[in-house]
Amino acid sequence: MRIAVGFKVTPDFEALRAADWARVAAAADAEGRAQATRYVRRVFGVFDEAALELALRLRDARADDGLPTGLAAFTVGGPDASPFLHTLQALGFDCLRVDPGGGPASAADTAEAAGALDFAPAATAALVAACARQLGADILLLGERGGPGGSGTVPFLAAEALGRPCVTCVTAIEPAGADRLRVSFRADDGPVRALTAPPCVLAVGNAVVSMLRVPTLKERLAVRDVPVTQFTAADLGVDVGVALDRAPAVRSLEPVDRSRAGIVVTGATAAEQARALYEGHLRARLEAL
Amino acid sequence: MSLSREAIVEGLRGILGPEAVVTDERVLVENSVDNFRKLQNIFDVHVMPVPAAIVTPTNAREVAAVLTWANEHGVNVIPKTGGTATEGGLESAVPDSVIMDGSAMNEIVKIDPYNMQATVQCGVPLQVLEDRVREHGLTTGHSPQSKPVAHLGGLVATRSIGQFSTLYGGIEDMVVGLEAVFPNGEICRIKNVPRRAAGPDIRHIVIGNEGALCFITEVTVKLFPYLPENNRFLGWTLMDMKTGFEVLREVMVGGYKPSVARVYDPGDAGLHFSHFAAPDDCVLLFMAEGAEGIAKATADGIQAIVDRHPECTQVPSEYIETWFNDLCWGPDKILAEDERIRQTRNVNRTTEISADWSSINDIYQAARQRIIDEIPDITMMGGHSSHSYINGTNMYFNYFFNVVDVGPEEETEKYYLPIISIIVEETLKRGGSIVHHHGMGKARAPWVRDEYGSSYYMLETLKTSFDPNGIMNKGTIFPI
Amino acid sequence: MTAAAPLRVVAVLDATGSAAERHGRALGAFLRDGLDAGDIAPGVVTHVFCPPGADPGAASATAPTLDVRLVRVPAHRQDVATAALAALQTGDGADLYVFPSGPSGTELGARLAARTGGSALTGVLSAAVGDGVLTCRRAAYAGYLEEESALSRRPWCLVLDAGWDEARAEPPEEHVVVEAAHLTPEDPGAPPLLEIKPLEAPPTGDLETARFLVVAGRGAGSRRGVERAAAAAARMGAAFAVTRPVVMNAWAAPDRQVGVSGTRAAPAVCVVAGASGAPAFVWGIERAGFIAAVDTDEHAPIAGEADVFVAGDALDVLEELADLVDRHSR
Ligand SMILES: Cc1cc2nc3c(=O)[nH]c(=O)nc-3n(C[C@H](O)[C@H](O)[C@H](O)COP(=O)(O)OP(=O)(O)OC[C@H]3O[C@@H](n4cnc5c(N)ncnc54)[C@H](O)[C@@H]3O)c2cc1C
Repeated sequence: MRIAVGFKVTPDFEALRAADWARVAAAADAEGRAQATRYVRRVFGVFDEAALELALRLRDARADDGLPTGLAAFTVGGPDASPFLHTLQALGFDCLRVDPGGGPASAADTAEAAGALDFAPAATAALVAACARQLGADILLLGERGGPGGSGTVPFLAAEALGRPCVTCVTAIEPAGADRLRVSFRADDGPVRALTAPPCVLAVGNAVVSMLRVPTLKERLAVRDVPVTQFTAADLGVDVGVALDRAPAVRSLEPVDRSRAGIVVTGATAAEQARALYEGHLRARLEAL
Repeated sequence: MSLSREAIVEGLRGILGPEAVVTDERVLVENSVDNFRKLQNIFDVHVMPVPAAIVTPTNAREVAAVLTWANEHGVNVIPKTGGTATEGGLESAVPDSVIMDGSAMNEIVKIDPYNMQATVQCGVPLQVLEDRVREHGLTTGHSPQSKPVAHLGGLVATRSIGQFSTLYGGIEDMVVGLEAVFPNGEICRIKNVPRRAAGPDIRHIVIGNEGALCFITEVTVKLFPYLPENNRFLGWTLMDMKTGFEVLREVMVGGYKPSVARVYDPGDAGLHFSHFAAPDDCVLLFMAEGAEGIAKATADGIQAIVDRHPECTQVPSEYIETWFNDLCWGPDKILAEDERIRQTRNVNRTTEISADWSSINDIYQAARQRIIDEIPDITMMGGHSSHSYINGTNMYFNYFFNVVDVGPEEETEKYYLPIISIIVEETLKRGGSIVHHHGMGKARAPWVRDEYGSSYYMLETLKTSFDPNGIMNKGTIFPI
Repeated sequence: MTAAAPLRVVAVLDATGSAAERHGRALGAFLRDGLDAGDIAPGVVTHVFCPPGADPGAASATAPTLDVRLVRVPAHRQDVATAALAALQTGDGADLYVFPSGPSGTELGARLAARTGGSALTGVLSAAVGDGVLTCRRAAYAGYLEEESALSRRPWCLVLDAGWDEARAEPPEEHVVVEAAHLTPEDPGAPPLLEIKPLEAPPTGDLETARFLVVAGRGAGSRRGVERAAAAAARMGAAFAVTRPVVMNAWAAPDRQVGVSGTRAAPAVCVVAGASGAPAFVWGIERAGFIAAVDTDEHAPIAGEADVFVAGDALDVLEELADLVDRHSR
């Protein structure tokens, strides 16, 4: 069974303070979205990280049953993914990077293209599907959503391009014999467990396992000179231009203000405070429920 | 004869009333360790003696009453405030200890903008004080990474240091006066004055005592103008730590006082700066603050110094500013880190030492190489220098390892202590100090005689004089 | 643009599972409050997917529109549903499809757009038609920013933000139901999923659907304190949740947790007791209609993140409040 995990390296939104978001929004307008968050540390997309670890655990569990599993990881993005790819190589993934721009010759072009892909899930999905084909993946494993756009449609669109079924909101994957998997996922009306038969696309959501193991220095050293395979969109025969043109046009970004009125309710004792809160603010609302 | 657990609880209830004596088994078990053995809490496997109770006194008189009682009955008392200790200072070294938790003493007694000082009780979180003085356009100048969670009592007790130390100094440069209670119940107040030469400076008996001599109930710290609009950030990448230390030295010797002056080795830089630094790059960074002219002159002076080192490549200051804004660790980050450890069994530990300019690079290189060679399952071995002085700097070793083939409770013995040993050995060999700012705790107490040499006599005399029955935080600073 | 032709809108409701009621009301609320179709009232029909043997009346009961097209599809057969939807689109050429939030709506929306050459957008907060494009608002950057985007290629396939699930519009009392059964392929091919077994839902379910929620934070102080808060919540008839520090202190079970690493609740009324207002927690309650917070620290961030704030002892105020609610509800 060959599993290919697609992942995205994204700015760590948590590293920004609430006050910084107005600046990011303004910079996105003025300099382009790719530039707006360039100073922020990068991380694996949260769901992508879970997908990568689930793939490793699935490989280990299948190995316990004497079943071989091929693991590959790929990303569509710029060279900022390099340290992440290196980590994955050390963990035993075959690695591939697709440069959405013109390749190493034009770094600015790459950043620009990667920024555009953030809000063009169909274009991303076309590249993701091409990678899955290139890697001969029986299972294409993705994170449910991620990155600035976070549409959550890439897994479905990639599945559509590959003509495969897709299960999202996956929370656990277990081996079930040589060529089937038992997946747990959250459907609209609650958690479900089912058997899947490859080829298929699985997208990991809020899994219990969400963090990627860490390779040792020795494991890193062992893959030090192993190159990461690189392709451009053209190498994979994908014309992202068409899909980009069709994508919804982002017209503006604005910070979201989460603050509320914060009206202070006073009272000399807890009983008085509770009364003021209840009579002044809660009673009518609770009665209307 | 030592008291039974029940008798201890009984005695404490008699002094403070039942409300102020916590005996919830779960809470007690979790309080048997601090961050030094944090895996015991993260994985819920506890092997340390369980404390008998936690008491929460609300004033110095109650503290005195409990200490007097404990002193009489030989009950070990472990002072605590914020609970962020990293070196075992809060760990129960002996059975049936009593944790004296000062976090209920959390009143800001006075903010005095004219005399530029603030007086707080020991249980005030530094973040709370900082937020309050900022309303006056002031700052404490103290910004340890644990600022959101650590309290003033603990910060003084550990001789903590903040991220802006190169300008504002460590806590010892900030405390102008304090109140502390000794085991015999003596309540001592050191008044708040700008300076004195009336004999030795006895503040330093209290500052850094780690709860092994007395309980700190109140402190008064200096305040400074808060002028963040003048902050300037500078950053470079470079190929080796030796150059980095050299630049830091030139900046310090040149008389500049940036608030932040740091150099990161490639491993540590990889954790924070891999979006602009190559895998083998070191990162050098500065922040200048203060009045506009001072901040500008400081930044310009540093720029001129680094410009003389063509091997340093400047990076846009926004990288440094963005990093800087996300530096502190609140409860959320601490919990997220615990979760990461639980899932991956990959543990992050740190050990900080200091040495003069001639030795620091050798200590860094030797310790780092030995750890990589001698310790199994290392996933990252690196560090940075973050607090510089005219005569030397610190090295903050930052390292990660996978806990393999042993239970979480054995992590300390299999990995952490052997690494600490290497760092301590390499530091002592070259005349450095084995603790720069986290305190000795119980982790590095075994090396206390090597650290002090002939001056150990002075230190030991403090212990035997102030705490003759040895009831204050057994095993901390002074090994059992 | 020339005189606008009326907009043809299709609401898509999957009634093969138990989410149909919630989703029907969400679709209705969006059509009423979230969609600005300009001067001309849109023509709206609901496509309802229901199991082959279902009673037409029951299946379409929560459809948000008078007109219903019934498409019979086995549960968990998104492949069949997508094919049916695409075939219907070819026939009636609708301009705009609206799907409720959740994996099923997202899949149908994304695949339909791909097959018809239309455009899809998820997490939609609002949409307005004008100048031949559909301008939508949605959350981006993990909710830190809000995006305005314009869709041009039709059909526009919108998947709603989960917040609409809370808006709840009553469906019409009666429906005009037309069967479109002939669109179900005779042999739908191999099913993508086998041996489908519902799992026991974790008991957090009540937090997700609670209309009145009490949340206790670290300020509850101890396990005993959390128990007091839970008892007060029970007396008020409120669901009870806690913040992460409370779970970490083992003062409450993990399934009670709201926030980034727990449940995201959306009650009409939320009372927060003794939580400082860390962002990861606030995320879990920010969809609440009304937030009242009690904390001893008047400078805690929660003071500005709540609609009303009481600077006081969280447990005492909560218990007094429970007395009042209890007394008045009798
Ligand atoms: C994420 C993180 C980041 C950190 N960053 C820094 C940093 O940047 N700089 C730094 O210096 N340290 C740092 N530390 C270490 C720690 O925060 C400091 O040592 C801090 O000073 C401890 O304060 P506390 O209130 O948490 O004390 P506690 O953890 O409660 O106690 C620390 C020690 O002081 C003693 N003590 C506590 N209160 C009293 C009292 N009232 N009287 C007498 N003794 C007392 C205790 O017995 C113990 O030995 C960090 C720790 C963490 C977990």
